[in-house]
Amino acid sequence: MSGETAPTKIEPAAVVPEHDAFGPDSEIYIRVRGLSKNYGEFQAVADVSFEVFAGEVFGLLGPNGAGKTTTVEILEGLRTRSEGEVSVLGFDPDSQSRELKNQIGVTLQSTNLPDKIRVSEAVELFSSFYTSALDGGELLERLQLSDKSSSYFGQLSGGQKQRLVLALSLINDPRVLFLDEPTAGLDPHARHEIHSLIDALRAERRTVLLTTHYIEEAEKLCDRVAIIDNGRIIAQGTPRQIQKKTLGDALLEISCANPVYADFPSLDHVERHEFTEDRRNLTIITRSPARTLVDIVKWIDGQGIELTDVNLKKPSLEDVFIELTGRSLRE
Amino acid sequence: MKTYVKLIRIDLMLALRDKSVLFFNYLFPLFFFFAFTALMDVAFVVSMVLTLGILGNGLFGAGMRLVQERDNNILRRFKVAPISPTPILVASTVTGWLLYLPAVVLVLGLSLLYGMPLPDRLWDLFLIISIGLFAFRSIGLILASVANSVQEVNILIQLFYVPMLFLSGALFPLTFLPAWLQMFAQYIPATYLTIGIQGVLLKGEGILENLVPALALALTLLLGLFISGKLFRWEKEEKVRMASKLWVVAVLAPFLLMGTYQLYSQEQIRKAKVLYRSMQRADVVLIRGARIFVGDGEVIESGSVLIREGRISRVFPDERPEAGEYQASLLEAPGKTLLPGLIDAHVHLLSPGLISGTAEAIEFEDLMRRSLASHLYCGVTGVHSFADPVATAVSLRGMIEDGAFLGAELFVSGPMFTTEGGHGAKAFDALPEALRTIALREFLRLPATPADARQQVRSLHAQGVDSIKAVLDAGWSETLMNRMDLSILTAVSEEAASLGLPLRVHTGDARDVEDAVAANAAVIEHGSSRNQIPESTFGAMRSRRVRYIPTLSVLEAVVGLGQGDDSLLRRSLALQVADRSMLEATRVGMRTELEEPVRAAIAAGDVLSQGKENLNRAFESGVRLVAGSDAGNLFVLHGPSLHRELQLWVEAGVPPREALKAATSEAAQLLGAGDRIGLIRPGYEATLLLVDGDPTTEISATERISDVFFKGERVNRSALFKQ
Repeated sequence: MSGETAPTKIEPAAVVPEHDAFGPDSEIYIRVRGLSKNYGEFQAVADVSFEVFAGEVFGLLGPNGAGKTTTVEILEGLRTRSEGEVSVLGFDPDSQSRELKNQIGVTLQSTNLPDKIRVSEAVELFSSFYTSALDGGELLERLQLSDKSSSYFGQLSGGQKQRLVLALSLINDPRVLFLDEPTAGLDPHARHEIHSLIDALRAERRTVLLTTHYIEEAEKLCDRVAIIDNGRIIAQGTPRQIQKKTLGDALLEISCANPVYADFPSLDHVERHEFTEDRRNLTIITRSPARTLVDIVKWIDGQGIELTDVNLKKPSLEDVFIELTGRSLRE
Repeated sequence: MKTYVKLIRIDLMLALRDKSVLFFNYLFPLFFFFAFTALMDVAFVVSMVLTLGILGNGLFGAGMRLVQERDNNILRRFKVAPISPTPILVASTVTGWLLYLPAVVLVLGLSLLYGMPLPDRLWDLFLIISIGLFAFRSIGLILASVANSVQEVNILIQLFYVPMLFLSGALFPLTFLPAWLQMFAQYIPATYLTIGIQGVLLKGEGILENLVPALALALTLLLGLFISGKLFRWEKEEKVRMASKLWVVAVLAPFLLMGTYQLYSQEQIRKAKVLYRSMQRADVVLIRGARIFVGDGEVIESGSVLIREGRISRVFPDERPEAGEYQASLLEAPGKTLLPGLIDAHVHLLSPGLISGTAEAIEFEDLMRRSLASHLYCGVTGVHSFADPVATAVSLRGMIEDGAFLGAELFVSGPMFTTEGGHGAKAFDALPEALRTIALREFLRLPATPADARQQVRSLHAQGVDSIKAVLDAGWSETLMNRMDLSILTAVSEEAASLGLPLRVHTGDARDVEDAVAANAAVIEHGSSRNQIPESTFGAMRSRRVRYIPTLSVLEAVVGLGQGDDSLLRRSLALQVADRSMLEATRVGMRTELEEPVRAAIAAGDVLSQGKENLNRAFESGVRLVAGSDAGNLFVLHGPSLHRELQLWVEAGVPPREALKAATSEAAQLLGAGDRIGLIRPGYEATLLLVDGDPTTEISATERISDVFFKGERVNRSALFKQ
């Protein structure tokens, strides 16, 4: 890995990304180290550490209640942290929240505007909060809301509301954007629109930290992802890195006509294997699927057992999650 | 700054798009206005509608809105912007105020149509309304800050709104409440708002007269904004701790202090009474078809009088005006006679004219209040008091003037000037030293030298007396007393004249009268009951315009006492006004306890006949007469005795019209109030007595009292003693 040879701003303990665009020369916009948040006895966020580089789209992936929103709201200056170090654009969100808020854009997961506020008024009002603001008309045009500018917020569709919310988060031309579940509750068409917008933000080299519980969203939009569960980061890196690291290269599923009672052979490219209870089905994680397949077929055939099915799979983040937690992400 | 302007502008737009805001600010007050103007005084209704509006706009407008925005996650969105709670709170307050101003214009405009002129001090009204509105907005914000949900804030607001509405005096005058509730009301911010608004509308007051309440409201505004800023919560998930709810108490702290201060000072309670009285005095009444005794001796056989805003607005000699035309309530009075309220120019309020029958000490003020109530009950609407404690009397005079207390209008002379061992002073000789000192200080002045006398007159003038009374009386063989040195009397007279105070001289016999006239007395009190006042003295009185108050009632009382005749205590009015236990104590005591006075009375002989004869001759000589009873002496009851006085005058040969004139316009002129009371003329105060029958031919008809009006208020006579 390149990080081992070049001088770096990143602490030795940090995960060094493999992604081409964000090497050690990239500036770190968001730094989180050992972040914890306790609500009484309940620990919502536990010892979370990650970094987001300038121009990167970083995803926090996890089920509802995993601690994603708590984490980003601490970064936005909305909540205080219990422990850990946090900096966004060099600001401490706790003590410098006013300066920070002036420079970031935020869309919240659950938020609203007054039903009877017009789109143009909302833009005008929020412009007045910042030391500098983009032109409201152009912004609405960019988000395809120009024709809705005199509509009441309450009259907008879900997608239009979300676009307005995005427009408001862009009004101060922020370098860093926090998008908390930007597509939750939207229909596929509206979701697709938001995805295009996020791609456009990436093209503008804005730094985006988004949270999502949609695997495809994370895989499709994010340069890097941290998977978070029960307040802890259980894996992070590019989607590809995570898959590899967790599950190796491939997953081999083998079904037999009769139970296999013989001990599993020692094969050095196999990472892990598992039989079902009836010992008719076998799952193998391997770094070298072709070799493993040949060896296993031989081994089963040698026992006189008939193979009924063989499956070779590339693991998804979903599999990673299941592998790491024993649960499906959408449960 | 741009943030504030934008927030206010958009807050206003949002409010104007909200139908409930429009309804509660503009339509709701209209509903109240039209519903209540049919029943009540317009100015009161205006104050009611304004208070109602300010409470609603403040508590509900500020409180509910903020919690709703928090509950709907609207405030959350603001939280991620670089903005503090301050602009949000300030904008909410200013927006509420801007929204309310049209309502003020609306209500004042409507009241114009209903005949209420714009208040003289419009700017002060605007200030009070604005401070009040800001203060209640900030209370609303505090309630929003401590409530955890819309339901909770709703309950909290109702808890504030309902008592404030009912106990503030906005819906009905505070004086209708029991005393303990009136005190409780002093802890309520809305009470001060209501009283401030009513002060401007009903009494023409300004912000300065309401400075303390205005400051308390302003302090509430500042505390409210500050604390609600501290307690501000952007998100419904942040719950406020129970202990934080006590901050509400902090906001009300100015009023906790004010209320406690009021417990002690009673200022606001007095003011509430004054405001209520102003309302009562503002009634429009048409008294139709009565015989009118104008006061100067003229009689209109069948006429009508329109009372408005406390004054006689019109006198209709013959025509029959329609009450509806003047939006007046009608009082049909055929067979009745309307007179100016009677005036008793010589009373002693501190003493009830009866034996108290109890050893309990009674406050000066309570005794005097009762006497004044008795007078008004009997249609005696003005009295001049002598030898009463001056500070108490002056304070009561003010309370009656502004309406805090309802009783006969009071004119005060304070302590009387006499001499060591003289009339008045002798009576205190028997008292223990401590009591005697108090009595001498409160009731008498005993100047040793002319210089003393002048100084004492000046000092009384500074205390606000209306006249000076001096005693010139040597008594007679049975009851001799020291007579004032004439040089001292002259000094008193000159000093009083230089200060514009009429000198009123008590005399015992004809010589005293002659000397008092020579000393430039304005009035001779009593005259002589012992010998005949010579024609020459009456001549001098006529030419020097010295008035004569014969006080026959006290002479009749002395005769009755001497004869053991208590018939004066059995007359109708006496039975109505006198305390029953005191009447009983007097009937018993006059035979057993009163040996000395009774013996003196017997020795005095037929003083009444002498008094009547002198009155008759004074009348024939053209001396100006004024009626006075000397009420407060034993058997001379406050109120009934003036009626009796007039009857004695008629027995003495004075025609009823002249007697009535002496008790109305003549008395008013003597008291320096001839330009506002004593006559039934447009512009005069509507202080009137309506009786059944015709006292201009049969004087005892004055006792058949039908109604009493005092400064425009139709007096609820039976309630007078319950004040």
